[in-house]
Amino acid sequence: MLNRRSFLKKTSLGAGLIATGAFPYESLAGEKEKKLTILHTNDVHSRLDPFPMDGGRLAGLGGVAARGALISQIRGECDNILLLDAGDMLQGTPYFNMYKGEPEIKAMSMMGYDACTMGNHDFDAGIEGFARLLPYAKFPALVANYDFTDTPLENKIAPYTIIKKGGIKLGIFGLGIELEGLVSGAAYGNTKYNDPIQVAKTVSDRLKKGEKCDMVICLSHLGYEYETNKISDKTIAKETEYIDLIIGGHTHTFLDQPAIARNASGKETVINQVGWGGVRLGRLDYVFGRQQDARLQNSQSVNINKETSG
Amino acid sequence: MRVSIVHISLLLAVVTACHKPHYIQEHNSRHYAVGKEAKTDSSYIQFLAPYKQRMDSTMQIVIGYADTTLTKAQPECTLGNFIADAMLQAAKRSNSSVVAAVANQGGIRLPYINAGKITIGKMYELMPFDNALTIVEVPGNILVQWCHHMAAMKGWPVSGIRYEIKDGKATAITIGGKNVAENETYLIATNDYLATGGDKCSFLTSLKATPVNLFIRDILIDYVKQLNKANQPLHPYIEKRVRYAE
Repeated sequence: MLNRRSFLKKTSLGAGLIATGAFPYESLAGEKEKKLTILHTNDVHSRLDPFPMDGGRLAGLGGVAARGALISQIRGECDNILLLDAGDMLQGTPYFNMYKGEPEIKAMSMMGYDACTMGNHDFDAGIEGFARLLPYAKFPALVANYDFTDTPLENKIAPYTIIKKGGIKLGIFGLGIELEGLVSGAAYGNTKYNDPIQVAKTVSDRLKKGEKCDMVICLSHLGYEYETNKISDKTIAKETEYIDLIIGGHTHTFLDQPAIARNASGKETVINQVGWGGVRLGRLDYVFGRQQDARLQNSQSVNINKETSG
Repeated sequence: MRVSIVHISLLLAVVTACHKPHYIQEHNSRHYAVGKEAKTDSSYIQFLAPYKQRMDSTMQIVIGYADTTLTKAQPECTLGNFIADAMLQAAKRSNSSVVAAVANQGGIRLPYINAGKITIGKMYELMPFDNALTIVEVPGNILVQWCHHMAAMKGWPVSGIRYEIKDGKATAITIGGKNVAENETYLIATNDYLATGGDKCSFLTSLKATPVNLFIRDILIDYVKQLNKANQPLHPYIEKRVRYAE
């Protein structure tokens, strides 16, 4: 039985809130700050085994047994984990030549991935080849700017997904790179590529304003940046208003700390990418609360802990 | 007590009515070098075992050896020269009029191959794609365009061709040791990915191309095997085939 005094205090506080229509930060019971840990990979390229012990710079790194153990360990330490991949899961070791992606996708399901996007090499067994893998994936593959009408992936690839973790509403969408001149026409077939900038604007707008997501995450296989005006993660960050985080891939970029871009609304968009081959696992820890635009006020307080380098 | 219950209901209504927005207050980042600590999860090793067993029985076969570390770099590199030389040799066997070979830098899928034994699996990692050898009939002017493209991409592997890179363009282009004649047509070996316009080579798509029924990867395997048969290591050299103009 609750102590009547504190009980009344709490309930009258609730009534007071209804009266004013305001929610003071962390004032309600159970309104403590919420935490989310995002773990991510990109361009793993069928590296199910660690790199061989050949004395090279990547020797002994990577592999699903080590990544799985690390992810389990982090799951034991943090409540709300989101595990994401930014594409090119496939192609690069004989596993893919022999099994066409089945063990790669099954291992990702074992690790509990929440979502991925498609990289150009995820077309390497053809659209049909990727479609055949989807039953092994206990997570969605997301691409918002490919139109798969009249292909074996029609209605099988969603533009975005919405996931709730510990009371936080997360909108996640995918962006794929231009296929023409990169992927053989036979492999991508009738897939139509739409301008990722326009699509990113539309989808991020819908996720933030329409779906009221607390955080909008873009899984991008566009590449981190280019010397030319080719569309990159930096372009997407700059041209859109509502993306909080871009998990990138394609350029195999080892960012020692995430890049922070100023987006079209003047707020910050974080971009991260962790090289390739599964030799590095990225981690971003977010704290959520009721205070709006906290980041703008505290943007200098972003604390980057450099751990180890791949 | 009755009033309190009403209060509870009101409170619950407010809490559950809709998703109240949360805002990012702060974020931190770090990353892990996967496998740096020896911890592994044996369930993945068990899961992989049947796949791996079948794969290793083929892939761990030693086909030869390298007595130097081969690397991937630009504008020219030993891995690239190995690939382009093997392609040219194989193409010449199919048609002795082939004068040169071009590969794309992005098609080199390993950053290095260490000195030592070379396995079939290593060749799969270096060239995982099922790309086939193709002989393309390239007019002189298109060859020049191709070299400009390679220069703009900071240098691609070639065999039988040399060029310098200056301000993102190709200069001092030679093929078979001679300057390019605009009105001549050259037989050049490449992969079907480039011949069909891959890596922005759309200028190749209208040219006559003859496919050779060989995967580039199998050509590389064969090249290393041949060297091994002759008791020779794989040892490509940097020969200033592609260099920056001074």
